[in-house]
Amino acid sequence: MITVKLFGMTKSLADNQPSLTLALGKNQSVKNVIELVNKRYPKLGELIYKKKILVSVNQEIAHEDTKVQESDEVALLPPFAGGAFAATKPDVMRMGSHERR
Amino acid sequence: MSAVEQHDQLVRVQREDFSVDAEINRVRSRSKRIGGISIFLGTARDHSKGRDVDGITFEHYEGMAQKKLREIRERALKDFDILELLIVHRYGEITIGENIVLIVAGAEHRADAFRACQWAIDELKQITPIWKLEHTPSGEVWVEEHP
Repeated sequence: MITVKLFGMTKSLADNQPSLTLALGKNQSVKNVIELVNKRYPKLGELIYKKKILVSVNQEIAHEDTKVQESDEVALLPPFAGGAFAATKPDVMRMGSHERR
Repeated sequence: MSAVEQHDQLVRVQREDFSVDAEINRVRSRSKRIGGISIFLGTARDHSKGRDVDGITFEHYEGMAQKKLREIRERALKDFDILELLIVHRYGEITIGENIVLIVAGAEHRADAFRACQWAIDELKQITPIWKLEHTPSGEVWVEEHP
């Protein structure tokens, strides 16, 4: 099992829960976490696939291939209040605004 | 106050309001070489993107927000010719007109203080996991970006 922290509008999209508990097996990656989120909350999944919501692992922006273990701290990060996401890694897209709910 | 405690005071995410004078003095006391201090103070405005705003709530990712602010301070100290940089950001409910965020940059000369201060607030807005919920007459809106 893994707990995924939710913030801002990601909470609103997940019935106002502060976190999700997902049944994640061994040797899994962020990609698997996203698939589980998408199954339960397709709207959240869609925004993650569009890179409008980023996934962090142990307080750093993660990628689909980032390995995830039960002890890791995973979170879904909607666009920050101050603006676009920084392109901290080459394959992290800079985020623009997106439609509000 | 120990050196570690002093250091912790220079990067904070807190619910309560702060005193701009006290924070400037905190930076001033860090070095007698400081000859110029630049500050940025962000406050809660009553209008945003064409709509009235009655109040704001800030949410932050405890731990990651502080980590990103520490990174900003450390990079500012490395990349700019400054002697100290302080960052304080509030969370929770904030009334219109109240303080939200403060950056104080202390340098020998003003140009470096100005530059570091502007860079730090721009960087904060880009990389710090803090979210802003605006309370408007027509409901609550999570803000996704602003200049």
